[in-house]
Amino acid sequence: MQNDHRSDEAHVIQLPAPTAWPMILALGVSLILAGMVTHLVVGLLGLVLTVAGGLGWFFQVLPHEAHESVAVRTEEVQIVSRRTLSEREALAVTHRKILPVETFHITTGIKGGIAGGIAMTIPAALFSILRYHSIWYAMNLLAAGGFISWAGASDAFLSEFHLQGFLAALAIHGLTSLLVGLLYGAMLPMFPRYPILTAGFISPLLFTGILHSALNILSPILNQRIDWFWFVLSQIAFGLVCGFVVNLQVKVRTPQFQALPFAIRAGIHSDLTERTYDEARHSDERDSPK
Amino acid sequence: MATQTPVTAILDKTPASPPRRLLFQVLHDWLTTLDHKKIGLMYIVYALIFLVIGGLEAVLMRIQLAIPNNHFVSPETFNRLFTMHGTTMVFFVGMPILFGFGNYLIPLMIGARDMAFPRLNAFSFWISAFGGTLLYFSYVGGSGLYGAGSAPDVGWFAYAPLTAHVFSPGHSTDYWTLAVLLSGVGTVGTAVNIVATTLCMRCPGMKLSRMPLLVWLYLITSFMVFVTISPLTAAQIMLMLDRYVGSHFFDTQAGGSAVLWMHFFWIFGHPEVYILVLPAFAFANEIIPVFSRKAIFGYPAMAAASVCIGFISLSVWAHHMFTVGMGPGANTFFTLSTMIISVPTGIKIFNWLATLWGGKIQFTTAMLFAIGFLFQFLIAGLTGIMLSVSPFNWQLSASYFVIAHFHYVLVGAILFMIFSAFYYWYPKITGRMLNERLGKWHFWLFLIGFHLTFDFMHIPGLLGMPRRVYTYEADRGWMMWNMIVSSGAIVQTAGTLLFVFNMVRSYFKGAIAGADPWDAWTLEWSTTSPPPEYNFAVTPSVASRRPLWDLKHPEDPDGNYE
Repeated sequence: MQNDHRSDEAHVIQLPAPTAWPMILALGVSLILAGMVTHLVVGLLGLVLTVAGGLGWFFQVLPHEAHESVAVRTEEVQIVSRRTLSEREALAVTHRKILPVETFHITTGIKGGIAGGIAMTIPAALFSILRYHSIWYAMNLLAAGGFISWAGASDAFLSEFHLQGFLAALAIHGLTSLLVGLLYGAMLPMFPRYPILTAGFISPLLFTGILHSALNILSPILNQRIDWFWFVLSQIAFGLVCGFVVNLQVKVRTPQFQALPFAIRAGIHSDLTERTYDEARHSDERDSPK
Repeated sequence: MATQTPVTAILDKTPASPPRRLLFQVLHDWLTTLDHKKIGLMYIVYALIFLVIGGLEAVLMRIQLAIPNNHFVSPETFNRLFTMHGTTMVFFVGMPILFGFGNYLIPLMIGARDMAFPRLNAFSFWISAFGGTLLYFSYVGGSGLYGAGSAPDVGWFAYAPLTAHVFSPGHSTDYWTLAVLLSGVGTVGTAVNIVATTLCMRCPGMKLSRMPLLVWLYLITSFMVFVTISPLTAAQIMLMLDRYVGSHFFDTQAGGSAVLWMHFFWIFGHPEVYILVLPAFAFANEIIPVFSRKAIFGYPAMAAASVCIGFISLSVWAHHMFTVGMGPGANTFFTLSTMIISVPTGIKIFNWLATLWGGKIQFTTAMLFAIGFLFQFLIAGLTGIMLSVSPFNWQLSASYFVIAHFHYVLVGAILFMIFSAFYYWYPKITGRMLNERLGKWHFWLFLIGFHLTFDFMHIPGLLGMPRRVYTYEADRGWMMWNMIVSSGAIVQTAGTLLFVFNMVRSYFKGAIAGADPWDAWTLEWSTTSPPPEYNFAVTPSVASRRPLWDLKHPEDPDGNYE
């Protein structure tokens, strides 16, 4: 860094004037409280100091805040970096890692979550009807996550319609679907290869694994009532539909896009991601100082 | 060769004012000061004094527990020691030292001349300081004037009904209540100041999205202070009413509720851990990038994760109360909320690792402590997850496992980052460098001592050793573990003494630091070391999150990438 001198300048800075009143007020309040556990006289002294401190502070700021002036002298300089810059090819000037240049809009995840949440109800309803001859069983089982006592309720009870169970299940299912949808929207651009495998199978299996192990600790009774085969099926239904809906949406450019060279932003050159490893290495070798 | 655009900068050429010579002048300067830097330093020095006192209390407790059937101190003294140790470390070391750094750094980092309310700032410091003094006056006043009781002995969370007059006669508990109440007033005052300063006094160009992460985290901490200190203060007043006026808020035999005190205390007590750890995160956010020679990874995610931690930490308090018998609904809720807080915390850890990844890491003492913090905080978080599971908690609540867990947080994470902050900002504060060789000795000694103490402390906890136990029988099998734990405390003490020696020696003989010894990027390094009382001769204006990078590298400013 080099400095080129230009001009001198003097001016005055106003700072708050030093004062002991805040300390005296603090001491006064402390002594009032200390008076409760020592002696009345200590409390009275505290009261006197509190009043004095309060008044002193008041007159320090009103009608005009007390200030002291400090004279300062400044000098304006021009700063130029000593670093030597090499002219690089257009594709190599972005030597900083810029990720990502495009991503999904936040509403994409919400849309995906809603679609996936609806899709998930189909295998869940099938499970309920085939196993318990009632469409409400899976819903009530989900609601048991909120109503702890329902975890041990009879199958007959869980097969009936309960308004509070319906509302609880709706809240749990809706919120979870939205959150997982948002997660899909955020994470799918990070794993662009094999989106069906990632979104439709790997993520649901991982999520089921985590939930299976956690639920065994949190609520073993509820854990025993869940049919994990059907659970995995409904998770896969969610993942496939949510991932499909998310991937249908158009990506938006992040602020990082602005950092790309003009040629790329204008579409004259191809995107950075299309550079091969050899090209990048070749370019880096050429730029490195000999 | 590419062309470069020169950048205009302002140099402060004001001659330094002559130093005060007379003791009276120096004292007057410090007692009447409204300068945020001096108030910050007073906070730090006051906290360090209490750190030494609290540390000595810990060492005395460890000597008592080193061997079975020991009577090095009496049971009554032991009760006072653990009460005073906990209260001192949380209220009169942790809070003031972190607020001290905040006071010193926030205006400098946002390009302001002072805090928004300088007089309130001084008041907040002094009332906290008098609170601490009142607490320790209990050793004299508790029995000296009324002939009953001495220092508080009800534990740092002072559960009811132990605090009732019948179980705690005299004034020892009152001293505790009043001291904590005074400290709370000071804490809220400083929090108000930090919020107002951050929101209203940032220099031109410093949008919230360009604010240093340290300032972001202090802002969140201050909002948390508003929410958490109020119930604590309310509870202290209710306790005073119980003890003085005969009300029955916490008197179970007269229709009151002891559990109510627990809720009041822990709705403060658990977020308090985050109030202490967020500033430690804040230090890490500044120190790790500088010594990795990279900008922080995922700035928006770091800020968002901190806000999430702030919110979620307000909903986890009752995991301290699993053994009370709250019922399955509450147990499940607090288990889940406690587990969920690990998500934003994990985001932070990953982002720090990503900042380190690929960086040109400089293993200065400050960086060593920061890396120690990273690993130890991870382990502390993992034992935290274990304790969040209510059935596990039922087995180990009130055991030394819990003590080991929270000391891993308070010492392994927070104290390590405080040491790191000292090594990083000491040159700015004093104008001289701390000795790196002594610093590295300090780091390794403290690291070894820390792990001897707190790794092995988990084991007697798992074997059933209860917290606050005065002594134990030789046949319990706890002796070897306690001996190792106590030995570690001695090693930590040696490391800390070396640190104190380094600070004092370097103040007089340390190498001259210059304005920017670490080639750092935030505004505090753009002014002299130590900074003048007006901070900046001309209010700076910024165009990115790393204004000094822009100044030093006009050919490659950060604004292009944010």
